[in-house]
Amino acid sequence: MNVYVGMSGGVDSSVTAALLVEQGYQVTGVYMKNWTQDLPGMKCPWADDLADAKRVAVQLGIPLKVYDFQSEYKQRVVDYMIAEYRTGRTPNPDIMCNQEVKFKLFLETALADGAEMIATGHYAVVQKGSSGDARLFRAKDVLKDQTYFLYRVTSDALAKTLFPLGMYKKTEVRSMASERGLATARKKDSQGICFVGSVGIKEFLGQYVTAAAGSIVDMQTKTVLGRHEGAIFYTIGQRHGLNLGGGLPYYVVGKDMVKNEVYVSRNLNHETMWRTTVRLRDTHWINGVPERSSLVARLRHRGSLLSCRYKDDILYLDNPERATVAGQSAVIYASSECLGGGIIAD
Amino acid sequence: MGERVIYLDYAAATPLDERVIAAMEPYIHGQYYNPSALYTPARQVREAYEIARHKLAMAIGGKPQEITITAGATESINLAIQGIVTRPDDEIVSCLTEHAAVVETAKQHAVRWAQVDERGYVKPSAVAAVITPATQLVSIGLINNELGTVQPIKEIAAVVAAKRQQRLEVGNETPLYLHTDASQAVGLLDISVSRLGVDMMTLNSGKCYGPKQVGLLWVRSGIALESILFGGGQENGLRPGSENVAGTIGFAEALSIAHAERKDESQRLHRLRGYLERELSKRLPDVVVNGHPKRHAPHILHISIPDCDGERLVYALDGLGVLAATGSACAANKGVRSHVLEAIGMDAALADSSLRLSLGRLTTDEEIMEATERIIQAAAQEKGK
Repeated sequence: MNVYVGMSGGVDSSVTAALLVEQGYQVTGVYMKNWTQDLPGMKCPWADDLADAKRVAVQLGIPLKVYDFQSEYKQRVVDYMIAEYRTGRTPNPDIMCNQEVKFKLFLETALADGAEMIATGHYAVVQKGSSGDARLFRAKDVLKDQTYFLYRVTSDALAKTLFPLGMYKKTEVRSMASERGLATARKKDSQGICFVGSVGIKEFLGQYVTAAAGSIVDMQTKTVLGRHEGAIFYTIGQRHGLNLGGGLPYYVVGKDMVKNEVYVSRNLNHETMWRTTVRLRDTHWINGVPERSSLVARLRHRGSLLSCRYKDDILYLDNPERATVAGQSAVIYASSECLGGGIIAD
Repeated sequence: MGERVIYLDYAAATPLDERVIAAMEPYIHGQYYNPSALYTPARQVREAYEIARHKLAMAIGGKPQEITITAGATESINLAIQGIVTRPDDEIVSCLTEHAAVVETAKQHAVRWAQVDERGYVKPSAVAAVITPATQLVSIGLINNELGTVQPIKEIAAVVAAKRQQRLEVGNETPLYLHTDASQAVGLLDISVSRLGVDMMTLNSGKCYGPKQVGLLWVRSGIALESILFGGGQENGLRPGSENVAGTIGFAEALSIAHAERKDESQRLHRLRGYLERELSKRLPDVVVNGHPKRHAPHILHISIPDCDGERLVYALDGLGVLAATGSACAANKGVRSHVLEAIGMDAALADSSLRLSLGRLTTDEEIMEATERIIQAAAQEKGK
């Protein structure tokens, strides 16, 4: 069986490739060259990452191809992210990258190239259901589980995907890498949005959006507490980077993109902060709309699993939840199975 | 594995010679004084520093006062070029196969590139062809650090001398100088500044078994350079900053050793390189030897192994205990094709399958025989991947 493995030059995808080689698959590594940007004072690490992927491919005795997805990635992931920020929402580019690039473009290109399956180093589990549908389950390693980022992948794509790491803990993956002497065994996990690199999101967005300074307003007293650099840069629930001085922390509880105002509160129990219904848009279901009544949902990666019901684009939470963020995703599970989800509308 | 690692990347870095370490030792552990200070221990340090300068000058046939100690070849090259061509429209002649330190500095000015042939060789006539009445500096390295091609510096010096003569006759007062980076040639080729006929020469301690981040620029007496750094006036104002005493003493020792051992060592490496070239050509029938077939450095072998990726070969060799380079160490890390191989118009596939093997003082006959086997093994593993 011909398997094309997405190799990023990180430890997870290195071990993924190694395991598949050991399991007897005919493995071809693929480095996806996605869009990156060179900013003054920062070096995009892609050249080093490609070199690491190549180093591991040589160790495993497998070919490594480079797929150049830069223009598609820019259009489908980066432009989407910038557009979402412009509307005041906080998007999740990793989810978009999986939906549009890894499990669409990469899959299609690999299949056309002779692959029968693709594999990635995601922490997730795919199992065939009774009707032959591919179903997505949370990984064994609950801290590393990446199904939150995978809920928009189609069942057809999952049917052609292997996630060899789904049944391992991250620590096990690291030690498997060391045992095999893989060049990436001690490499640090990547942090942040890959194409933004080590610069902050603010610096990145600052080049694409014209942000004007505006007021930071106390939600209750309506008094102006300070200035911000552009409402676009603030996310509901955020408490760092407000520069409002000492004392109890202020939290961002809302923003008005038209007035360019950011609303803050010290009162975590403020009514605007809590909600029991979450409206979703652009829902995606891996194998159809959930029919079970008792579900759990995750409103952010690694967020707690919240008991809920779902009907007609509305998520009904059993208990009120604080600071839901428009643009982020609500991912819905029936026990450990990821059913899909949607983007938090407001 | 578990076998001895064979180092074949001397063109990138050389190990410190034990004798160099011994010479530096007193200035690392005890004699820390600033040579510009007035008390006796500092004056002793000054004396040792000036003796080192003297030894450096001796090894290249120059005068001590013509030597400026720098922090390596890149700095020397920058000083040589920017010290002469000071305005953006000042004209310099070089070629695109030069080290990035030359190419990138030259690009800051009006540069005219001399044509290089597919062997990386710059014909003197090609240099003559691009020198105009406004050219102020010609900068060509003695050995191309990637291909190993040896440039005809003496003949280029004759071209420059002839152009100067012509200028004299027509009353053109624009000065014209010749700079060469001879860093790769130390201990291997004749680097006597008078026999080469150059006006300026760069050397790098880190390429000749001395400490890194030390180099020199030799400038023929009578040529005035503009300073590119400003500070306390050390090195006649050309390279301000407290002197790197231990480094300079180490460099002087390294250069003296290289100079003394040059003839034997050069022959020995030439023989080993020849063995490697012959064996690899015989046993890997499609191997292509790049560079100039005759005018090549004794220690650099640049080859292409078709259907193999050069970078993968390096990793495979790393796994087999041979440390080698693809193209030049700088280009390889950037994930882009070597500017040198591009400049000589090498076929992209051939460039991507290239390997630079460079030999040095610790390389033995046994190592070269063993390395040959490992290279053949790596090529077999990597073919078609």
